[in-house]
Amino acid sequence: MSARSSRRPSNLEIWALGIGGLIVFFGLWAGLSGFGLVPPRFLPSPAAVAARMFFLIDHPFAGATLPQHVLSSLGRYGLGFLLAAAIGVPLGLFMGWYGLLDDIVSTVFNALRFIAPIAWVPFAALWFGTGVGGPIMVIFAGAFPPCLINAYRGAKFVEPKFLEAAHTLGAGNLRIIVEVLLPASIPSIVSGLRVGAGLGWQSLVGAELIVASSGVGYMMVQGQSAVSTPTVLSGMIAIGIVGYCVDLGLREMEAFTRRRRGLV
Amino acid sequence: MSTITFENVGRKFDSVVALEKVNLHVRDKEFVAIVGPSGCGKTTCLRMAAGLDFPSSGTVRVGTREVVAPGPDRAVVFQQFALFPWKSVYDNIDFGLRNKGVPSAERAHRIAAVLKVMNLEGYERSFPHQLSGGMQQRVAIARAYVLDPVVLLMDEPFGALDAQTRVLMQEELVRLARVNPRTVLFITHGVEEAVYLADRVAIMTRRPGCIKEIIDVKSLREAEHWNSLPRIEDVMDLESFVHLRTMIWKSLREEKVEERN
Amino acid sequence: MSRGRRRILVGCCAALALVGFWTFSTSFSSFISHGRFPSPPHVWEAARQIGGDGYADANLWQHALHSLRLVILGFLVAVAIGAPLGILMGASRRFDAFITPVFSLIRPIPPLAWIPLAILWLGLGDGAKIMVIFFAAFVPSVINSHAGVRAIEPHFLEASQVLGARGFTHIRAVLVPGAMPMIFTGLRLSLQASWTTLVAAELVGALAGLGRVLNVAQQDIYPAMILVAMAAVALLGWATTRLLDVIESRAMPWLPARA
Repeated sequence: MSARSSRRPSNLEIWALGIGGLIVFFGLWAGLSGFGLVPPRFLPSPAAVAARMFFLIDHPFAGATLPQHVLSSLGRYGLGFLLAAAIGVPLGLFMGWYGLLDDIVSTVFNALRFIAPIAWVPFAALWFGTGVGGPIMVIFAGAFPPCLINAYRGAKFVEPKFLEAAHTLGAGNLRIIVEVLLPASIPSIVSGLRVGAGLGWQSLVGAELIVASSGVGYMMVQGQSAVSTPTVLSGMIAIGIVGYCVDLGLREMEAFTRRRRGLV
Repeated sequence: MSTITFENVGRKFDSVVALEKVNLHVRDKEFVAIVGPSGCGKTTCLRMAAGLDFPSSGTVRVGTREVVAPGPDRAVVFQQFALFPWKSVYDNIDFGLRNKGVPSAERAHRIAAVLKVMNLEGYERSFPHQLSGGMQQRVAIARAYVLDPVVLLMDEPFGALDAQTRVLMQEELVRLARVNPRTVLFITHGVEEAVYLADRVAIMTRRPGCIKEIIDVKSLREAEHWNSLPRIEDVMDLESFVHLRTMIWKSLREEKVEERN
Repeated sequence: MSRGRRRILVGCCAALALVGFWTFSTSFSSFISHGRFPSPPHVWEAARQIGGDGYADANLWQHALHSLRLVILGFLVAVAIGAPLGILMGASRRFDAFITPVFSLIRPIPPLAWIPLAILWLGLGDGAKIMVIFFAAFVPSVINSHAGVRAIEPHFLEASQVLGARGFTHIRAVLVPGAMPMIFTGLRLSLQASWTTLVAAELVGALAGLGRVLNVAQQDIYPAMILVAMAAVALLGWATTRLLDVIESRAMPWLPARA
């Protein structure tokens, strides 16, 4: 293992190694299941999983087809995340400006922060049964902290020169918050949204494992009860793909705002 | 009546005495420059006139009223421009006018006028990061000027610019000041800049700062007709200019030497 | 009054006001019914019960210890594998090129999504929990260790080369200390993920642990106990994070302590 500045691998090498890694991975998988080294209940072959996925796209399992489950999950995810952003970002900005509000909210927030979002599930179950309110509440619990914290940080750490300029130009509090704090905090806010989106998605999955009657998580739990490993794996793959796409979208948004700001 | 008065002004930061017994009176529509060694407190003086900082003792008045808060009547041009990067040139200049409640038709009219004066026509939709340093500072000055402030406070406005741009900006500022005079307090390191631009130059001592001397430039400028020479280089060649400059340099040198001792 | 003191004062007032509101609306009026949210006396009762006689087949300490053991075990295994892997990936571009595509397949899968699979493989016992915790804690460790090595300023690496350090010495003496701050960020994230995942896994199905308490309390419609269990989880989470902070400041004495 040499110091990394010498003998950098060529792009071709990187490609080859990457493909090699994937081949090893899938090869191991196919081999372990194909040669019966691991019973199919534990590790279905890649082909079996793919087949099951295609099957689930058309045929309902646990109440709906795979795309319907995904849509169901996305729907409540979108609502929960939107709620978290719509409340967290403005609140964070106002907290960054009004010290009293900061003191009040911070205390309560810091006390509740260490409660993993998933721990809200029992209350969610108690209050909403298996209705849609439960997962939304858990998603909110997951997505809210980063949205709030990042908006707060963005507002609090705005460069003083902008605030001074705004004051000497006669701006009032509300105008400062909307036209100075908010735009100045956009990079921080978008970053927070990205983290919040990720945490929200994870919380969704957790919530659906326990308190839902539809959605991908629910489908996986039913698959597990029915000892259908391919179903479970299909669910995992679907979740991974959707989560990745959401993150990709937000990453693009982050890059876009940086470009527009001339920070790149 | 837009005068600036510093009366026995002192400023302490924790245990450090930055300013002590500063006395300065800037007359109506007069251009006064403050020069002094680094850290002497000249920027602090400007910030107090702006309402961004407050004296520990003494009073700072603009007109007859004591300064208690920042406001558009005392527009500030910062060294680091402080343009809002997320607003276009037009929106940056528009900002102060909106805060004053100026109706939109008048705003458009005033902005167009100031863009023309500052040679910024065509750049309304550009963003600060797309502009050079000199242009950004022009926008900063435009942003202050468009408010028609009674007092203009400029904190080393050309300090962040390269030498050539700085010279051009100085010439522009002189032109502007003659056409549209108002009370200006101008902070700078550059003695030549101060002598070229100002009616009077105040020399500040090193910390704890106070006004050591005030040199009258205006009478000499008018007597020698500096205004008839359009370019800075020509003015700076004049004997009268050199004389004033050297006088101020010597005074500042004493401050530096004492500091080193 | 200084800003810091005022903050504490306001915070206490806010907290007191909240507790007052809570007591009032649950005990003295039926604004919030008992089925939905417990009143302070109820919570106290529940705490006493689980602290003494026990609930869900064990008392609070046993449940807490059980959960704590699993978290620490899963966390340590994940970090012991993940951090060195990340460091190696940062050190060698070839190794990185080999591992990254496969890692990118695993990475987008949220840790909790491994739970059904873990149950299928290992049942409802401790093994499944540790497996899920492993996957949860593994990813942040790898990512942050990798980033930590990559973030080392080139002149440190060049200095190491010039001074003749090779292979393992180079890793041990230059890469690891240089990447430490980010490695610890990864550890913090891993710890957080471990707790979240454990609670979730225990909620889905377990024989002991704080998550099980949550589960049983929910089924019994015993909100006061739910609150006690949540508080216990929060407390343990906070305590382990503090412990990590202490370890961090010992491991990197050249950095200022965390606030």
